[in-house]
Amino acid sequence: MQSNKKFMVMIGGVIAVVIFWIGWVSSNPADEKAMATFVSVEQLLDDNINKRTKLGGLVKDGSIVISETNYLDCTFILKEGHTELAVKYDKTRPDLFKDGAEVIVTGQYLDGTFYADELQTKCASRYEGDLRDENAYNLTEIDT
Amino acid sequence: MEFIRDYGLILIFFILPVIFVIQPLFLPRIEEKDEMLDRGTLKRKKLILYRQIKELEMEFDIGNINENDFQATRTELKQEVSAVIAQLNSK
Amino acid sequence: MTPIAGGAALNLAFGFSILTVISLIFYTRSGDQRLFLVGQRLSLTISFFVFIATFILSYQLMISNFDIDYVARYTSLETPIMYKISAMWAGQSGSLLFWLFILSIFATITVIQNQNKHHGLMPWVIITLAVIQMFFLVLTNFVTNPFMPTDADFVVANGNGLNPLLQNVTMAIHPPTLYLGYVGFSVPFAFAFSALMNKDTSSLWIQSIRRWTLVAWLFLSIGIILGGWWAYQELGWGGYWAWDPVENASFMPWLTATAFVHSIIIQEKKDMLRVWNMVLIILTFTLCIFGTFLTRSGVMSSVHSFTASALGPIFLSFVFIIMIVSFGLMYIRKNDLRSPRKMESFTSRESGFLFNNMVFVVMCFAVFWGTLFPVFSEAVRGTKITVGPPFFNQINIPIGLILLALTGIGPLLAWRKTSKESLIRNFTFPILSGLVGAAIFLFLGYKGYVVISLSLCVFVTATIFTEFARGIKARTNKFNESIFVALWRMVSKNRSRYGGYIVHLGIVLMFVGFTGHAFDKEKEFSLTVGESDHVAGYEFELIKMSEAERANHYAWISELRVTDHSGQFITNLRPEKRVYFHKNPDVNRRQPHSELDIYSTMNKDIYSIFSAVDNENGIAFIKIMVNPLVRWVWIGGYILVFGTMIAMWPRKES
Repeated sequence: MQSNKKFMVMIGGVIAVVIFWIGWVSSNPADEKAMATFVSVEQLLDDNINKRTKLGGLVKDGSIVISETNYLDCTFILKEGHTELAVKYDKTRPDLFKDGAEVIVTGQYLDGTFYADELQTKCASRYEGDLRDENAYNLTEIDT
Repeated sequence: MEFIRDYGLILIFFILPVIFVIQPLFLPRIEEKDEMLDRGTLKRKKLILYRQIKELEMEFDIGNINENDFQATRTELKQEVSAVIAQLNSK
Repeated sequence: MTPIAGGAALNLAFGFSILTVISLIFYTRSGDQRLFLVGQRLSLTISFFVFIATFILSYQLMISNFDIDYVARYTSLETPIMYKISAMWAGQSGSLLFWLFILSIFATITVIQNQNKHHGLMPWVIITLAVIQMFFLVLTNFVTNPFMPTDADFVVANGNGLNPLLQNVTMAIHPPTLYLGYVGFSVPFAFAFSALMNKDTSSLWIQSIRRWTLVAWLFLSIGIILGGWWAYQELGWGGYWAWDPVENASFMPWLTATAFVHSIIIQEKKDMLRVWNMVLIILTFTLCIFGTFLTRSGVMSSVHSFTASALGPIFLSFVFIIMIVSFGLMYIRKNDLRSPRKMESFTSRESGFLFNNMVFVVMCFAVFWGTLFPVFSEAVRGTKITVGPPFFNQINIPIGLILLALTGIGPLLAWRKTSKESLIRNFTFPILSGLVGAAIFLFLGYKGYVVISLSLCVFVTATIFTEFARGIKARTNKFNESIFVALWRMVSKNRSRYGGYIVHLGIVLMFVGFTGHAFDKEKEFSLTVGESDHVAGYEFELIKMSEAERANHYAWISELRVTDHSGQFITNLRPEKRVYFHKNPDVNRRQPHSELDIYSTMNKDIYSIFSAVDNENGIAFIKIMVNPLVRWVWIGGYILVFGTMIAMWPRKES
């Protein structure tokens, strides 16, 4: 039994160390891009949050403006409910990025503009509804 | 017409499985084949033990086990095998 | 046959699953063999009805019956026939039916294979499988029925069509292989549960599931690798792994399953770790269900969860029920689970396995933590904090490297206790090779994790070769065989052992590939015909732009001439910008897609994406990535598959 106990203590110790470490990394990530807080557009504007955040919303129809000098530079208006926010993004845009698309942007808010360095459209494994107008057949996803 | 065909098919696909399923209930009560099954389990045990001995020998040849452990474990395994064989023979 | 028959088949299957459970529970009380026969046949009948339902749905997809909502959603008249069939697992209800279909195949095999074997275990094995089938039958019958008719007051002339991202051979096979893995663990779980019910916790049940476990593990591994490969080939962000919740969902059960594959060896040989193995298989199965849930319910992806899905709570309840029932039963059986033997030394093979197990589980916990961090942080602090790849990398790279080191150390330890002499004898060569490797990599100017990872790769490779060499030498000495005969006989007589080492070699190669990630380079630029730009010492010249109209899409094709720094021609890359459904009058329904082109060598991949085209000015926007050593990941994958096949190849029972 003696030796089993020693193992238990050892295992317990290792687990404690690892949990502590994971907790520590969670609160002090090495890379600032490791974490972002998901907020609503309204919250961001109200609290004027300047740290790294993630926003979700729809691309306002007709709001995508592509810079004449650099095709990669683009601005658009992100709409969440009735709140709107100008977003600037200067990387390759995903294929599904277009008017009315549902997007998630990650970046920083500064003086009225949100500077995004990540722009995601809906992910591929859940593309239900990507190809259709949701209201066309008036379907609810699941009928119980 | 199609409606009738559908239900005809459902009927066929339903009745055949039901007959398949309840057929054993009309058999006479089957005796437990305990002995046979026990033999099967014992044979598997024997096979597993034989394999363990073979592997032990190989581990020894490679040098993963020292002489003492090898002899001790082998004796242990051999005893277990002979116990299983004795049980098999007594059935 | 029409959809009504499909729905009816699912109803019947549900009814029969209840009957199966009832009849077998009566059998375990009464011992009347006729009831056992009835139970077996009922179980086969559930599967039979599921097969019929699956067949009907795939037939409806093939003939494009748009009266069925599912068919209209995921296929169109133009969808190639192959993808009409693969649409079966493209959407929610279809993929749940498909899950059930695979489970039914496995249940059928299990029932038929064990008609005269494991007589004590089988009743509860069948009951467990029937309960899992029942769960998925509840979902497909009452929650999200794949045969639901289209809810439109007009005739649907054409369906939506399948997402072009999924019109890809890999994407057609990736979900089924992943599912085969997910579902495959149902069978070992059923055996484990039955062993608990029967108080038969010795090593016999472990023997009977070893091969199943390996098969499931193999499919899960292939599924994960194919998923990475698909992401790399299709998604156009230049990587194969993004720590996305759905990826993590498949990685977590893989980790616990890998731990299980290792620790059952100990129970087989030493009859130790009984409790631990139970915990692992229960966790693995639960994580498989949880993975299906994460993939299908959409809780994770964003605050704007698109569907307030009824599926979520049902799946979570099922997960909790499995855990409570299984762990509760384990608690009741705690006396039967006590192992007769115990650990004897830290430097033993047993403890090596134990540590490897712990590290796997710790890694699984880390991934779990990161995946559900947004949920936790919202519950605790009220703010939803998402974590990205840097977080996962920071935690998992060190854990991964420890695992890699253990891969090398474990096989060199002796059972029970390793003596000092044999420690020195076994470790001298591998450690020396590792150190030499480290010196070389340092000399080449590499730093940090890269050096550690690559030298560990050298170390582990050296241990694998010593293992083979020592085995061969033992045989040549003992039986006077030639080297090749010895190798052949040695491997074929100890398949799981040497198959396992080959899998380890595959993992080492994959680690080499992962390490290459540290040197990835990328650049975005715009070119007109005749212009050029350079990335990582390569020159890219746009030599041609053309357009083409094809069966279901319209394409802009760019042609890039790639030369290295000395002007030596390397290859021509032809990435394309495509628009699918380009004839659709509704612009929003047309779908752009970037078809990338990759030039791949052992050394590095040159990865090109045609991100956008400016037709008026004839400008192409190109993104180039130079990713070193990616190919090693795929090669490692092949070797992993090969090794697993050796390990699970059946031997003659004689």
